[in-house]
Amino acid sequence: MSDTQEPRIGVFVCHCGHNIAGYVDVEKVAKQAGELPNVVFSADEMFMCSDAGQQLIKDKIKELNLNRVVVASCSPRMHEPTFRRAVEEAGVNRYQFDQVNLREHVSWCHQNEWDKATEKAWDLVRMSVARARKLESFPVKTVRVTPRTLVVGGGIAGLRAAMDIAERGFEVVLVEKDSELGGHVRKHTHIFPTDRSGADILKPLLKDVKNHERITVMLNSKVTEFDGYIGNFIVTVKNEKTGIGEKLDIGTVIVTTGFEPFKPTGYYSYGETPDIITLAELQEIPRTEGLFRPSDGKPVKRLVFIGCVGSREPGKLGHEHCSRYCCSATAKAAGDLATRVDEVMILYQDVRTYGKGHEELHRLARKNHVIYSKFPRDSKPKVDTTSGKIQVSWHDVLADVDLEIDTDLLVLSSAMVPPEDMAETAKMFSLTRSPDGFFNPEHIKLAPLTTHTAGVMIAGTAQAAKNASEAVIDASGAAAKAVSLMAAGEVEIESTVSHVIPDLCSSCHTCVTACPYGAISMDSEHDPPIAFVQEAKCKGCGTCAAACPSGAIVMYHSTDEQIMTMVEAFLCYSPVADGGESA
Amino acid sequence: MTVQTTTEKTDADWEPRIVAYCCNWCSYAGADLAGTSRIQYPTNARILRVNCTGRLATEFILAALDMGADGVLVSGCHPGDCHYTSGNIKARARWALMETALEQAGVDPRRVRLQWASASEAQIFADGVKTITEQVRKLGPIRREWK
Repeated sequence: MSDTQEPRIGVFVCHCGHNIAGYVDVEKVAKQAGELPNVVFSADEMFMCSDAGQQLIKDKIKELNLNRVVVASCSPRMHEPTFRRAVEEAGVNRYQFDQVNLREHVSWCHQNEWDKATEKAWDLVRMSVARARKLESFPVKTVRVTPRTLVVGGGIAGLRAAMDIAERGFEVVLVEKDSELGGHVRKHTHIFPTDRSGADILKPLLKDVKNHERITVMLNSKVTEFDGYIGNFIVTVKNEKTGIGEKLDIGTVIVTTGFEPFKPTGYYSYGETPDIITLAELQEIPRTEGLFRPSDGKPVKRLVFIGCVGSREPGKLGHEHCSRYCCSATAKAAGDLATRVDEVMILYQDVRTYGKGHEELHRLARKNHVIYSKFPRDSKPKVDTTSGKIQVSWHDVLADVDLEIDTDLLVLSSAMVPPEDMAETAKMFSLTRSPDGFFNPEHIKLAPLTTHTAGVMIAGTAQAAKNASEAVIDASGAAAKAVSLMAAGEVEIESTVSHVIPDLCSSCHTCVTACPYGAISMDSEHDPPIAFVQEAKCKGCGTCAAACPSGAIVMYHSTDEQIMTMVEAFLCYSPVADGGESA
Repeated sequence: MTVQTTTEKTDADWEPRIVAYCCNWCSYAGADLAGTSRIQYPTNARILRVNCTGRLATEFILAALDMGADGVLVSGCHPGDCHYTSGNIKARARWALMETALEQAGVDPRRVRLQWASASEAQIFADGVKTITEQVRKLGPIRREWK
């Protein structure tokens, strides 16, 4: 892919209105850039991203036969796609465009240093021009997408995702490690904000999923091998009961592996008596006229809830997050039960009933005479069971008094935490996890359902603690993402991958172990076997290129030469040798 | 290392020249946010975007110093947060060896800095640039010093 033509570089320096030009001498930078070798055109312009700016690039490419373009403007994270498109429309390969960040990295953070900021801008432009000289062109590649989705986890999110995809005409394989579909929701005897049981809510969805001709359900099963790349995954699913494994061709994946209710051992005497239970355990107690104690079956007269158990604990890894379902679920449970027991009390740190219809649940609880009492963040309630009774003592913040109460049943509104095998799942699909232990999305705001593994989506509580309605919203979103890939039938992949130069490879396997994606393997056709990169699996991190002791790996678009020439352009610039009179 | 004052070489006009290698996904974006947030920090660093700190061969850092950089900053995603799963962990592993190599080459290890700054940690990024700049300013222009 060598480009034999002499580089003909156009440099376009953007004012960005006052944003850059107000703090950097853009005219001077553009003028100096014009004197650099291989730069055949250089100008400053008010807004490069505007139609006029983009047209100027296209016109100059055609007029002056430019084959490299440098735009010095904002962050490439903002407008690189814009300018890549523009140069491509005028016949310059997208990989022969380079952008200099004069706004976020210069003008906006050096607002009172005209000379120094200008000098920095000039250095950065010079570095970019040096890089541009070395840039190679690459073809834009596409791969086919197998029209079949793998949904991992058959909880409410997995079911919704499977159904959405099947209804749009694509095949789905739904894998569930349990012997039944429905996840946690199925077990709950009532699920806020409705008055219905989880099983009842799921019934129509379960029926549709089970009967759908395009959905294959695999129960008691786990994904044991995951290979391939976007559109072309090869997945092995093993039935844990029969021990039989099956290999499947999959185009897209949705991970809906969910959460686990936190068992709060060590909190509030949990485990010392059967009458201290979690909110999840309360919600699995079958619904009857009254509420009875698990220990002796006697009716519960007084019921106390404690909020934020294992949630919102600064400094405690995996428990710093708000679990988001508990305030509303507690309010609903307490409000309902208030009509069946004598007295209900909620000890809380804060009340966050943020969802649609959730504040109404809080109001319902208050209306039904549930007593709310706020305890301080740094001094949690104390629970004592030594007398045989459950004694709760705490400090009420609003009344500023110490209080104490005996209760028949204590319910701990415990956190949502990742399931035990989360690390295994993360490794399987090359996903990363945030400090709360759940999976990281590709971008927290702009791409909350896709992940850094192209073709793998996340939805529901696998992504963060949330309630069932939110999990379903995710599921439909992730399904739409999967469908859009499969409907297009093919997907563009980056050409910026690494490449092994066969003659230099010493067969040491260092790159094979360095690659986080298993994209490099040994080609046994050669003797001795040499490394080769499966391009569709390569994400372009360049770790292999840095690790290779033989310098046999070229990281396309980020070659050693392209990086070092920038350093050199910054540090070893001499106007006479690099431009000026000699140009 | 003998901390022989190199400041005698320092003339009034000298400003530290810092090469800052930033990963695209965390620190480069963190630097973007520093700009968007109008956080003001020293002008001395020139940011070079690489996809991942895992891309950084030790030679890139040594060569920059050899070509006359007074300091080198490497800024990546927090461990566990790498866009490419674990590239930053590999960068960290190489770093330990490199510091030894630096000392043997007669370069004060305080001329290099490895830091983690996420896309939302603009202040941490800016503070990192300030720290390395000030550190290097005290050390004076780059030169080899052997024990």
